[in-house]
Amino acid sequence: MGVMAEHRIGTQEQWQAERDALLREEKELTRRGDELARKRRELPWVPVEKEYRFETEDGTKTLADLFDGRSQLLVYHFMFGPPYEAGCPVCSSIADTLDPQVVHLKARDATLLLASRAPLERLLAFKERMGWAIDWVSSAGSDFNRDLGFQRTEEELKPFLEGTIPPTVEQNARMCGTDALGYVSEGPGLSVYALSDGTVYRTYVTTARGLEPAMAYYGLLDRTAKGRDESASEPSWIRRHDEY
Amino acid sequence: MGEQRIGTREEWQAAHQKLLEGEKELAERSRELAEQRRKLPWVPLEKEYTFATDDGPKTLAEFFDGRSQLIAYHIMFGPDYSLGACPGCSNLADHFDAGVVHLNHRDVTFIAISRAPLEMIQAYKQRMGWRFPWVSSYASDYQFDFGFAFTPEQMQADVFQQMINEPPDWLRDWSVAIGADLEKGLAEGPGWAVFALADGAVHHTYSRHAPDGALLAPYYYQLLDQTPNGRGEEFRATRHDEYENAAIAHPG
Repeated sequence: MGVMAEHRIGTQEQWQAERDALLREEKELTRRGDELARKRRELPWVPVEKEYRFETEDGTKTLADLFDGRSQLLVYHFMFGPPYEAGCPVCSSIADTLDPQVVHLKARDATLLLASRAPLERLLAFKERMGWAIDWVSSAGSDFNRDLGFQRTEEELKPFLEGTIPPTVEQNARMCGTDALGYVSEGPGLSVYALSDGTVYRTYVTTARGLEPAMAYYGLLDRTAKGRDESASEPSWIRRHDEY
Repeated sequence: MGEQRIGTREEWQAAHQKLLEGEKELAERSRELAEQRRKLPWVPLEKEYTFATDDGPKTLAEFFDGRSQLIAYHIMFGPDYSLGACPGCSNLADHFDAGVVHLNHRDVTFIAISRAPLEMIQAYKQRMGWRFPWVSSYASDYQFDFGFAFTPEQMQADVFQQMINEPPDWLRDWSVAIGADLEKGLAEGPGWAVFALADGAVHHTYSRHAPDGALLAPYYYQLLDQTPNGRGEEFRATRHDEYENAAIAHPG
């Protein structure tokens, strides 16, 4: 555990004055977030022309089938590639917080599920270990991840692999039972679709820090005295919930 | 489904690129504010508060449980709520269990606090299938002192009286869902409080109260914000075991 941050001690009045000033900025940030959510909905919809196939607990399905009777679909691209023995720890912490959201999203006409490239049996075994109820499909054998930019080839990764590999990557690769190349061949992401008149449209895609809204505990850490307390040069603190 | 424009992949890419700049700017701004938050002065607690917990009475200092930071969410659940806690707070609380283990390993203890007596809290927690620690401030001034509950005198303020006398439909429905009239229902305030323990003393570092949105909205709103339909107007929060199709209703 890191050392507690430097801090000033103040009176209730000093705190209140500074807190009120900060609140104005926080509210402005909230409004800006609302505005971006509106802009997100105004993006043009792109028809998905390719037919992707997924292995699911109920057999092979198309992207349209995955909507499961609803008109919106959110897919979290969980880093769990063919060489992985276990899912990425960071994605696992994200899935911890996605799992309880499924029921509420269903009530809002949105289906949320996980997709990965490892074979279905391995995904389901890991899901059972983690105690999740969320649906998980395998896109093994399909270009789904590749087309969205969430799968990279050795050729593309060459410059990264020849440089200094961050300790976080080494650590996570080890925790997944693979090497750096195997680990970063997969990328995390969120892709969102709409089903209208029988056609599937892709409406939104995000990755990297765009995924932070799915990491619910970050919002809370951002309110604490120490904050996230992490740096690129140090190993990550995130573990699978049964490995702390 | 809202009005939709159909476009080519290139058109989407161009529009998305512009949006991405806005999103990055927002993330950067959010990081800046997190930094400012950490620079707020700490206020030493002068009063000692005692709470009823599953393990007997405890003070705020005892909640830290060996860690140096404490974050508390105040679930709207007053002594007169006969049908359970606020459904909106219950939606938010559905996510707490998933975060607790990760926060605990980040030197943060997480608890929920409400004014309902402990037995009411325990029964509702069991119904919802939650595991996070949830304590009662029933016999304490704590929530009044920190602005998470309001006295009958405070409830006379115009802002409350107007909501009580001319409630919008959603508020009327909310009152039915909690099984209490608005005079009692609105006497509880939702929000977050954060404390730090240093040199044996508890300090208050941060609070966030209703009605300011962001942190009080359930996390799934963040995902709804990425969907074509968005959050939807006029949607009422429903407890996870009260959706029409109860078979899909338990978050497990």
